[in-house]
Amino acid sequence: MMVQAFYGYVTDSLGLLSDSIHMFFDCVALAVGLFAAVASKWPPSERFPYGFGKIETLSGFANGVFLILISVEIMIEAFERMVEGRETKRLGELFVVSTMGLLVNLVGMAAFGHHHHGHDHGHGHSHGHDHGHSHGGHDHGDCNEHSHDHDHDHKEEKKNGHAHGAHSHGHSHGHSHDNENMHGIYLHVLADTLGSAAVIVSTILTHFWKWSGWDPLASFLIALLILLSALPLVKSSARRLLLTIPPEIEYNLRDTLSGITGLRGVVGYAAPKFWMDDRNSGEDAPPNRLLGVMHVVAARGVDMEDVRDRVRNYLLEHNIDITLQVEREGDTSCWCGVGRSPLSQSHKSTQSTSIF
Amino acid sequence: MASKGPPLYQPPPGTPPTPVFTTTTGPGEPSSSAFRFVCDDFDQDRDQENNSNNYNTTTESDIDPATASFADSNHFLAPSPRSSPAAFYHNEPSGGSRRSSSSSSSLLLRPPSAGRISNMVASEDGLANGNGGDAPAAKNPFNFQTQIYTAGPVKSNIGQRRGHRYKHSSISATHQFFQEPPPRPPPVLPASLPIPTLREAWTSMQRDQRARLWWCCCHAAVALYVFFSAEGSLAMTALSHLVFFDVGSAAVCVAVDVLGNFEVWRRSSIRHPFGLQRAEVLAGFAMSVFLLFGGFDLISHSLKDVLESVGHSGHTHHTEATGTAHTGHSHGGGTRYIKPGTLDLASLAAVISTLVSAYGLRNHGRIRRVMRVPLPYLKNLLPGAGILANPFHFLTLCFAFVMLILPLVYIPHIVWLDRLICAAIAGSMFVLGFRLAVAQGLMLLMSYSDAAFSPSPSASSIPSANSLLSEKKTDGGAPTPRTSGNTGVSAVVREIESEPQVARVEEAQFWQVHYGLAMANLKVCLVKGVRGDDSTISQLRSRLARVVQNRLGEGYGRGGSLRWEVTVQMSTEGK
Repeated sequence: MMVQAFYGYVTDSLGLLSDSIHMFFDCVALAVGLFAAVASKWPPSERFPYGFGKIETLSGFANGVFLILISVEIMIEAFERMVEGRETKRLGELFVVSTMGLLVNLVGMAAFGHHHHGHDHGHGHSHGHDHGHSHGGHDHGDCNEHSHDHDHDHKEEKKNGHAHGAHSHGHSHGHSHDNENMHGIYLHVLADTLGSAAVIVSTILTHFWKWSGWDPLASFLIALLILLSALPLVKSSARRLLLTIPPEIEYNLRDTLSGITGLRGVVGYAAPKFWMDDRNSGEDAPPNRLLGVMHVVAARGVDMEDVRDRVRNYLLEHNIDITLQVEREGDTSCWCGVGRSPLSQSHKSTQSTSIF
Repeated sequence: MASKGPPLYQPPPGTPPTPVFTTTTGPGEPSSSAFRFVCDDFDQDRDQENNSNNYNTTTESDIDPATASFADSNHFLAPSPRSSPAAFYHNEPSGGSRRSSSSSSSLLLRPPSAGRISNMVASEDGLANGNGGDAPAAKNPFNFQTQIYTAGPVKSNIGQRRGHRYKHSSISATHQFFQEPPPRPPPVLPASLPIPTLREAWTSMQRDQRARLWWCCCHAAVALYVFFSAEGSLAMTALSHLVFFDVGSAAVCVAVDVLGNFEVWRRSSIRHPFGLQRAEVLAGFAMSVFLLFGGFDLISHSLKDVLESVGHSGHTHHTEATGTAHTGHSHGGGTRYIKPGTLDLASLAAVISTLVSAYGLRNHGRIRRVMRVPLPYLKNLLPGAGILANPFHFLTLCFAFVMLILPLVYIPHIVWLDRLICAAIAGSMFVLGFRLAVAQGLMLLMSYSDAAFSPSPSASSIPSANSLLSEKKTDGGAPTPRTSGNTGVSAVVREIESEPQVARVEEAQFWQVHYGLAMANLKVCLVKGVRGDDSTISQLRSRLARVVQNRLGEGYGRGGSLRWEVTVQMSTEGK
């Protein structure tokens, strides 16, 4: 894929310089994405205790922000252009070059799409159908049609990745692990493709109707599309980066947590913090694993080791792996503030909550 | 309506039924008085409605009112699960068990009371409410809040009461299908705290916060002014990018400030285990992406400009669709020509607004601290300049000054100078953006970046930092001098392992949550002998926490120190 992009870079540099610069940026974005894909497989180290699972989300986020910025800029420019109403010249050359760009992008997207497909297949997904469909439709037909087609596919794919809706593929759990990175790159290439397509369409339109507004109009629309499709990407990846727990897991988690105090020897608990596990712990590992930290207060006269094992096993049964600190009842030395006063332990557990 | 029995005992609202209470409700009365004064916490409509329900029930079934009082005593507990979403988990102070015992004792006589049905519905309702869980857990132990409910479920029960009667009573007498939830302590964490809407944020703002917001708008206006006055000059365009970045991060500062008014920001809930404070890091990361983008944009501009001026005479209009920037200027630098000897208003405005933001908003402060970019040469150069130590301020101010001065002196070949400045800005934006992105990306990757503590960068920064004023250190200066090479995570782990009671550290996870908080999760294996004494274990734990805080935290007494939350899981060797 990189080779193809580079090929595009070289060929386009013969034609239009600015496009080649843009292609170069695309290459950078792709490189970042691929690097993230590779880096996410790195094992955890001392400095990165939870591995690099988040790096793909991060790159997806960065790509999404980048796309949003670009599309905003294009929209502003298109607006300016529309106001100024500048004349477009050298239509023929423009047409040829943009067609070439479109072809290169299509090839790149096809390659990327297959990559994507294969990737997800490895994870037990089977939503290659969308992709296959869109690729099949690529080589012929109207360009504008393409754009809508793609966007639609894309949103569907996104939904699929998160397994919220009743999608026809029917997998049960939301395994949204690799999607954000790939999604970001995909959107990037998609943006280029749509851009080229828009240029072609607008050139044709300008050829037939001599109105200089076609070009900005087309680019404005494309930018809008890209913006709208990049927004959910940014949102979902931001949510993951904030360590937000998705609602359906949160529900189970609350249930689990309320059962902890029913265990023998446990008086209370404090500072429960859980987050999603992003480590690639093998294919057989159950999804939606949670990691976390918790402090548990053991009753007097109960062996703390017993309490620790009991709570840990209880949580492991619920697919939660935690680091557990067991404290004796009445011990107030910890920062979590548990047992600072026996009555208020439940509400004063977290630090410095301001009440207004 | 007054109860005939001795009305001596007046329980406070919300207390569970006591035996005294149920017995003193005199016979022959509908006993609605008891109900009323207990439920004075709830809105009156509902009270009245339930009241009438009860009355109907008792008269209809025509049964000894003493049993109806049981129904009532059941009934007035019913609203309590609905009253707060969290109440499902709450230990209704032994009311559940007592109620079930009392009701089971009277089950044979008792008519199918509306109270039980509505109780069921209510508890289900409360459960569902708890799932949706938007409301925070109440602060008072009773969790009684006035909430307005549409009395839908209760009303629907009226018609069905007769049908449910026998089925329900027989089943509940034998099987207890609908058991009370086991008494549980209140949840430690609220399920989720409400995320403020824009309006709430607006109303929560204090006066100075609002002033900052307005200033932020002013800054944005300045940025726009610079941008639009940059017609034709590459350097001014570049400067406007910088100012835009300043505006963005100033906006982030204001947003953080305002969101700090809300509990969801710093208090952890289940959905947001660390509060929303990580959002600031995320916003910073987005800003660094913006920097990178700006750098790219500028580079592409100037490259295109150069190439156009070198080779092609006309320029094409191809690029706007493919996304490369193409602003209004087209003929290289020099279109925007300011008469020598006059002041450049735009760059002056940029300078002023940057200064105000730097002092008023403490713009970039946290970002700077997390980046830990040492600029020792700068500090040596200008030993008094606090904000110049911040690379972002330095950048903006520096280039704005250059732009300010340029028209004052006559310089030939202004086009090339223009491009040079633009390239310099673009390059520095790029470098800074990259470093910023890396620094914040590392934090978002859940790692603890002690890069600044590693010998290479800090070796140069430490001597200069020490020679500086303390004010600059609060601005986020370099770490205190440490024994070089013996810092960082591995050193801490080594130190912990050197504790006599610790056999080994099985797992150590150090990571930074956001600017002010980091977590250390240790799994420590103790030496076999020390088991059994609670106080020694507690002391060891606090010692470990102190070690981590002292070694890795940025110390006390300096603005915005890094707080460590240490969790130690202990086990004994050989078990």
